[in-house]
Order: sequence, then structure tokens, then C-alpha cells
Amino acid sequence: MNAKKARLAEIVGPDHVIDDPGIGESFTLDRTVRPAKRPSFKVRPKTVEQVREIVLWANETLTPLVPVSSGAPHLRGDTLPSVPEAVIVDLAGMKRILKIDRRNRLALLEPGVTYSQLQPELQKEGLRVIMPLLPRANKSVIASLLEREPPMSPRYQWNLLEPLRSLEIVWGNGDRFYSGSGTFRGEREEDWQQGLVPVQGPGPGQLDFYKFVSAAQGSMGIVTWASVKCEVHPEFRKLFLVPGERLADLIDFTYRLLRFRFGDELFLVNDACLAYILAQDEDKAVSLRNSLPPWTAVVGITGGQVLPREKVQARQQDIQELAQQSGLTLASALRGCHEGELQALLLNASAEPYWKLRYKGGAQEIFFLSTLDRAAGYVATMQAAAGEQQYPISDIGIYVQPVHQGVGCHCEFILPFDRGSQAESVRTEALFRDASHRLFGQKAFFSRPYGIWADMVYGADERTKMVTQKVKDIFDPNHLLNPGKLCF
Amino acid sequence: MALPKEVYKALKDIVGSENISDDPALLDSYRYSLAHTAIHLGPYYDTFTPRGAAVLLPGSTGEVQAIVRLCNEHKIKFKASSTFWSAQGYPSEDDTIQLDMRRMDRILEIDERNMFAVVEPGVIGATLQAEAMKVGLNTHIAGSGCSCSVLAGATSYFGSGPSNLYGGWHYENLLGAEWVMPTGDLFRIGSLGSGCGWFCGEGPGPSMRGIARGFLGAKGAMGVFTKCAIKLFAWPGPESLPVEGTVPAYRVSLPDNFRAYTVAFPSWKAWADAAYLIWDTGIGYLAHRQFNMFGRELKYAMVKILTDPSKTLGDLEELLEDPEVQRVTEASKRDFQIVLAGMTPRDLAWQERAFDEILARTAGWKVEAMNQPDVADWSLLYLLRLGHKNLNLVFGGSYDGCFGLLGTADYGTTHVEESGQLKKEWEEQGAVVQAGGDCTMGPIGGQGGGGTCLWENFTCFDPYERESVEGTRALFDAATKLGLARGWGVGMEKWNAQCRGPDGRTTPKEERDRIHLSAPQPSVFRYQHKIRRAFNPNDLGDAYYETLDDEAD
Ligand SMILES: Cc1cc2nc3c(=O)[nH]c(=O)nc-3n(C[C@H](O)[C@H](O)[C@H](O)COP(=O)(O)OP(=O)(O)OC[C@H]3O[C@@H](n4cnc5c(N)ncnc54)[C@H](O)[C@@H]3O)c2cc1C
Repeated sequence: MNAKKARLAEIVGPDHVIDDPGIGESFTLDRTVRPAKRPSFKVRPKTVEQVREIVLWANETLTPLVPVSSGAPHLRGDTLPSVPEAVIVDLAGMKRILKIDRRNRLALLEPGVTYSQLQPELQKEGLRVIMPLLPRANKSVIASLLEREPPMSPRYQWNLLEPLRSLEIVWGNGDRFYSGSGTFRGEREEDWQQGLVPVQGPGPGQLDFYKFVSAAQGSMGIVTWASVKCEVHPEFRKLFLVPGERLADLIDFTYRLLRFRFGDELFLVNDACLAYILAQDEDKAVSLRNSLPPWTAVVGITGGQVLPREKVQARQQDIQELAQQSGLTLASALRGCHEGELQALLLNASAEPYWKLRYKGGAQEIFFLSTLDRAAGYVATMQAAAGEQQYPISDIGIYVQPVHQGVGCHCEFILPFDRGSQAESVRTEALFRDASHRLFGQKAFFSRPYGIWADMVYGADERTKMVTQKVKDIFDPNHLLNPGKLCF
Repeated sequence: MALPKEVYKALKDIVGSENISDDPALLDSYRYSLAHTAIHLGPYYDTFTPRGAAVLLPGSTGEVQAIVRLCNEHKIKFKASSTFWSAQGYPSEDDTIQLDMRRMDRILEIDERNMFAVVEPGVIGATLQAEAMKVGLNTHIAGSGCSCSVLAGATSYFGSGPSNLYGGWHYENLLGAEWVMPTGDLFRIGSLGSGCGWFCGEGPGPSMRGIARGFLGAKGAMGVFTKCAIKLFAWPGPESLPVEGTVPAYRVSLPDNFRAYTVAFPSWKAWADAAYLIWDTGIGYLAHRQFNMFGRELKYAMVKILTDPSKTLGDLEELLEDPEVQRVTEASKRDFQIVLAGMTPRDLAWQERAFDEILARTAGWKVEAMNQPDVADWSLLYLLRLGHKNLNLVFGGSYDGCFGLLGTADYGTTHVEESGQLKKEWEEQGAVVQAGGDCTMGPIGGQGGGGTCLWENFTCFDPYERESVEGTRALFDAATKLGLARGWGVGMEKWNAQCRGPDGRTTPKEERDRIHLSAPQPSVFRYQHKIRRAFNPNDLGDAYYETLDDEAD
């Protein structure tokens, strides 16, 4: 038996070393620039000790590792090996919910725990975790939070990494480390009883360790547990739809809600995006797109712990007045969308197939951070670029998600395409590249730089690149974790 | 040792002759007395921080860069400070160049819609708040008060205060920042580096904001921050605070969408239950256990003095004899202050009802004497603006905090009586002000949305009396001992003792190593050492940036 395989089998057990796993199904268009390399093995560790042994072994043998926590399909190319003979470290089997603490509203999770696994368990304790918009059913909660995917509820985001808190990290050098108030295993009952609760995100000390593994595409360390702040599961909730002819019509209203932190879920979608969320197939997507208003603000109101009905009622009346002042109306139903139907979808992970892929089988995303007042400008740029590339403008799904209590927003363009059609793939890729550059030129901040965006952002910001590389040299001195990504 | 002439001249050429001095008299005004509130070290009688080599007042980022480059060329240590409120802003090594950042005092921008401001180091909380209120916004002000630099708290030290709960603490509110690194290179953190504006401090990719500050900042030992963006939050009040009254009884009467309450509870368990319910329900604009800083036994009498301009500290003893004062004091043993702010009338009505429900569920009560209009208006202004920081020092001229239990509401409430009891015993020995042992104060919500509390036990003493200073230090040593014995760890009384020792200079390396090696996770300091080596290769800061090198075992 191959010596590498034998050693890995010793660490994780022979059943958990998979030969020649292939590169997995990928939906990214970016492969022409950085063609994915076949990994040698996939290993499935079950414990932090095993993860640590794998990383130490990788350092001895200089074997590249690519950590993965979520299941396929992978849309962004970050988990495709960029170098040959890598070992995929598949954490999906580390699926334990180590603890749910109602009083401190914390959940302690392993990286394989998915939203669809977690939410029902939290609900039993009267809790929930704020979610990104329709994550894949097999999406790891920790991976999503580490990648700074925006949650639908900006009001709970006192900082951009919320609701992520303390972590257990195995750095690229093999060192096991606790960030935040971790400094201990975190799952021991005695610790919790003594009040040693991993509730902090920052630190410890004068460095902010969890920031180094955020949006790092697995290139700094492997996270083996995290504590996640939860919200009270609302006994009572309502969802409203606020239609608008133009995105600009909804911006003032959204700013007002953000100012007062009214609204739990709060985001804006265009007709195509809402259609892709609601439709189960291509035909339905097209008919819905044609009937939905061009833009919709989605506003959730929740009432939890104390006097929930009163709260929801007060909020509803206030939000109604704010809408009126902006010349808008709160609706429970639009032509093609009823709030109950949408609410049921938003409270869960995406049904299969993943919603962004339903219309055409493939989709390319373009997303970045900016401020809400610029969003309409980006839409115009995107549409102009699509027009030039002869990409059908009406296919572009647009999702605008306020983040960090409204200081910024995540703007996302979803470009469906038929992966079976060479012409569509080529056209979409051309649009993707062209639009990415144009948007960057317009101050779109590609804060999570996957694929070609990495060259774009680090090329324009030499200092950040140099600083990031120095930090990488400290935590992963042999550059074994996901080499070839970001600026490494 | 004076700076070499050519170095002084080169520095003068950078900032201009009116913005540099090495006059010993002036340099001595830039030293800090460690008998005073040195922020969690000492106190040490008749000890001052070392005299600097020169003081410079740079006027721009470019000037700061030029100074730092020159310091690297000549291997001269430097330390920046913006508002100099505590010892950590002063050098701990001889021959350090001191940068007084006060000339860079502009609010560069207030982005009203996106709710953030861009400030230079010299902008203090009061100024930013006054400008923000004009456009319906407010800024978090750290517990050190509104005359402290916003940027210093956000980038370089801690930044916790009464508005953590709704406003978020400075850590959370720090967005893009401009940092002259210890080498003189300029690092624009977050969206700023990509040329995309100030609104985001994270990324691109792994967030390098993480080397600028963690739970705490680098305390002036890792370069100079020259600008930063800070997140603001809604201010549903008038464009300026209509302050009334006579010193010290300033107060503010605000429209009907504000309420300032003092509430108290029958047990610590009930106190904690109320905190959890407030967080779960999502109400409250400011929440702090504030006036207990005067002491469990003195607080209401002190409030009577402070809200009545005809009274002085001389009235304290008589007031303590007043049965009504005694009754209120007893009723507010386990108390805190909370401000509710309604974004709309309905919002306030709902918050009020929810708060009453929380009090009903926890058997808590409103301390009516504290909620009389004059007192409530005084308390409201106190918490909103934190402009009364002199009151921290009112009893003996100085104070420092001990214990500082940091954790969930259950954690602090479990141990507060024991920590207070220890202090009470020491109070009886006479070195520190006798105030009832429990002078613990701190936020109901150590971070945005709550979840944690911090219990700093205020200790007031006389900095001009050796016995008082040394007795205070002995109490702090006893507090540390108790903290270690109980597994609470070393308390905040020693937060900075590993940086600076009894002579005002850097704590000897062996002692620092011993402290860092006994930490729950020494590798934190080993990584900080690596970061310092990578970004501050000439080691031009001081031991306020805490490191543990590879040799230490
Ligand atoms: C009585 C008292 C009460 C306090 N209470 C609190 C509290 O409740 N919460 C809290 O968070 N802190 C508190 N502090 C600590 C501290 O003073 C504060 O954090 C304060 O907000 C910072 O203001 P400062 O005037 O000390 O700042 P400064 O003296 O300007 O600096 C604070 C630190 O930051 C560094 N620094 C300042 N400006 C720069 C710059 N431009 N670039 C690089 N480094 C810089 C300094 O070297 C210093 O180490 C308190 C201090 C005192 C004396």
C-alpha cells in the first residue's frame, strides 16, 4: 500500500481514506484559469486529535491539504485543489452538536453540522440561528460563518462575523488553539457550570485570531468546533413584501428600517431572484419572473421572549407608517408570491436542487460588499455589461442584503447558465470577468475574493497582500493549507 | 539621554519647530503619576513614567510616517497617545519619542445614511456625539468618558461602556482604519485598502484587522493609527442635548421617548435573570451598573449630593444618618441603571411594557427615589454622555478597579458577594475608602446585544498618602490571590502589571515570561511575539504589547 495512504489510514482508520476521490462536481467557471488538480486522497477525520495528526503529517511530508466541511455542489472553486496530490480533509463527518445552552443562547458545533440539522435541535430549546438566504441543505454552519456569508437579519450583526464566537483551530503548523474565550475545550459540563462559557468572539489578547481564519478559504487553519450565538425562537412572526418598480424606490425605506433596527429578516430581491427562490423548475421560474414586481423588499417581524404579539403588532404598525411615508405598501401577497409560502422557504435550507441552479442547471455568482446607496449603480453596470455580452438581462437574479446593522450591504448577481451549452458557458464567463472588473472599478469591495477576484483585489492592494502573506507564514509556514488560493 | 542633535533637527524638519520640544519642564508634563489611576497596575507611590526624549505633535499621516521611518533608521522607540487618560499612553522605556496626536482632530466625514463617521485621533467622544446628534445619530462612548479619544479606544485599547448593549462596543464599531505600521508603512485596513471607502474593516480575505487589535489593542506599542471609521447608531432625540442645571447637578430633560430607570432585585439570581431577559427581548439603549461605583453603602447619599448644588461632600456623613437615605440604600443593593429609548412612541410603549413584565417575572422593582425627574434626568445625562468622569476620583483623588469578573451574567453574580466581602475587610483596615465592599460597576451587556457583564470593583484611595497607596496595592495583591484560588484568574487589578513595574519602567522579562507562561494559553503571547517580529522588526514599541519568545519555557 502507498506509504501516504497507510499513514493516513493509521490516523483516521482505513475506511476513512478514500482513494482518488476525483475533483467533485463543481459549478465554477473559473477552472480555465486555475484548472483543478486531482487530489490523491480524501480523508474523513472524526476528532480534533485526528485533524491535528493529519496536519502534522502533512508538515512532515509537505502534502497539501484542502479542508472541506460542506457537501457538493461547490459553487466558488475554493475547495478545488489548485495543486496536484493534495489530500482533501473532509470534515462533514464531524457532525456533533456538542452543546445547546438556552440561557446563554449558545450552540457549540462541529464543522460538519448543517443548518438543516441544527435548526430543529435549536428549536427544541426555544432558539434559532440567523441564517443566510436559503443555504444548501448540506451547507456547514461553521463554513458559512467562516466565509462571512451574510445572514438575512442584519440587526443582530453587531460585527460582520456575527453570530460566530469562540473557535477551536488547528493552525497550518499543527498547533491546536482556542480563540475568543475558548481557552478550554468548551464542551465540558464543569466548565459551563463554572461560568466558563465560550461567549466571546474576539481575542484572546491583542490579536484577533478568529479573523485570520475568516474568509480564508481554509488556508490558515482548520476549525474543529465553534460556538455560535443564537436568537430566541420567535413564538410569533410575520413576513411582509414591499413591491417597488425600481430598486431606488425601496432604498430610502430600507435605510429607515435599518436606522431603527426594525425588521428581523430584511433584504431586497429583483423579480428573477425571487422567482428562483420560489420556483421548482425552469418553466415556473419564467412565469413567476413575469408576474412578480421588478423589486421586492422582504421584511420579517418576530416577537420572542416577552410580549411577542405586542411587539409584532407595534412593529407592523410602525413599519406600515414608514412604508407609507416612502410611498410604498406592505403586502402579504404579490402576484405569484404569498408571504406564508416565502416564509416557509426562508426558514429552511434550500430544497434540492439548490435554488440558484434550478433555472438553468448552472449559475455563476458575483458578490461583493458596498453601501446601500450604491446598489442601484451596480445594477445599472451589471445590466449594461450583460447587454454588451448578449447575456439575457432578465435572467440576472439580484439580491441585496444589508449587513452589519446597515453600515454596508452584500450585493449579489446570480447569472444562470446551461452548463451543457458551450456557448452559454463562454458567454457567462466573459460577462463574469468583465462585470467583476467594472464593478471593482466602481468601488465594489470583493471582501471574499474567490477565484479571479483574488488577483483583482490583491493586485490593487499590495500592502494588504504583503500583510496577509506574513500572517500566513506564521500560522501555516509550509503553505500546506489550500495552496494556490487568495494570495498564497 | 537627549536625542542626537541631527535626529532632533530631522524631526523638527518634519513637524515644524512649534510642534516639537525636548524642554525638560515640558517633557515632565508628559509623565504620568503611578500613584494615580494608572489603569490596572500598581498603584506605586511617588513614581512617574519615564521622561520622554522629545514630544512631537504631528499634523498629518505623512508626518507620522516620516517620524516613524526616522525612528526605525535610528532605532528610537516611539509611543503615540491621543488623549493621555492613563499610564498606558506614556512610555515605559527611557528615551522614547512621545507623539501627542491632538492636532489631528478632525471629523472627516459623517455618513448619515450608512451610519458611520471617519475620525482622526484627537476627536473625543463628546465632539463626535454632538456632531452625530445633529443628524439623528449617536456614538458609543467608552466608560473612560467623553473626553477620551474615540480612535484610541477603538483601535488601541478596550472600548467598553454603557452603550455596548445597543450601540456595540468600540471593537465592534471599528470599520476601515488607516495605520502607520511600526515600520512606517501605511496599511489601509478593510474596504479602504481596496479603494472602496471606509465602511468595512474586514478583508479582503482573512481579515487583517486581526493584527491591529484583538480583544484589546496594542496600547501604543505597534505603530500609530491616524484615522478610523466608527459605526454610529440611531439617536431618537433632539439635535443637541438641552443640558440644564448647575455644576455638578447637570441634567437633561428629553422628549417622552426616553426613560432612565434605576432598578433593583431581591437576589443576584433575579438580577441575572433580568439581564438575560433584557437581552432575549432586545430592549434597552444603555444599561450599566453605574452609581454603585460610589459603593453599596454610599451611592444614594452621593447621588443626593451630586444632584443638589447646595450640597457638598461634607454633607455625606449626615446624609448617611438619614433614615430615608438608609431605606433607599438598602432597597438598591443589587441594582443597575437602564435607559430605554423609543424609536417611535409605539416602540417605547412596547419596551416599557416588556420591561415591566421582566421586572414582574424577576420580582424586581424600580427604585423610585432614583426615578424622580431631577435624579432621573441627571442619571440620563450621565449615562448618555459620560461627561462626569471626575466623579470616579471624587472620594480620595484616585481610584483603580479590582477583580473585573468578565463573563456571563451568571458568572459575575455568583462571585460578586465574595469579591465585595474581601474588599470590605480591607476597607476596614483604613487604606481605602470605606464604601461597603461592593463597589462593582460595569455594563449589562459587555457587547452588542448583551451576553456578558464586566464587574470592576472600584477602589478609591488617596494618591498623596503613602499608606493609602500601598494599602491599596496590598488589597489588589489579595484580590489577585483570591481570584487565583477561586479559579477566576488574575483580576483587572493586574491587567497591565505585566507591562510596567513599580519603578514605572518595563516589567523585567523574567517576570513577564512567568506571567505569560502561567496564562491558560501561553501560545497567545508566542503568536503575538511572531507578529511583532514580522511587523515591528526593530521592536520600537514597549512591553504593553505582550509577547513570549521561543526561548521562554
Ligand atoms: C478613570 C479611567 C477610567 C477608564 N475606564 C475605561 C472604561 O470604562 N472602558 C475602557 O475601555 N477603558 C477605560 N479606561 C482606559 C483608557 O484610558 C480608555 O480606553 C480610553 O478610552 C482611551 O483613552 P485615553 O485617553 O486613555 O487614550 P490614549 O491615552 O490616547 O491612549 C490609550 C492607548 O492607546 C494608545 N494610542 C492612543 N492613540 C493612539 C494612536 N493614534 N495610535 C496608536 N496608539 C494610540 C496609547 O498609547 C495608549 O496605550 C479608563 C481609564 C481611566 C483612567
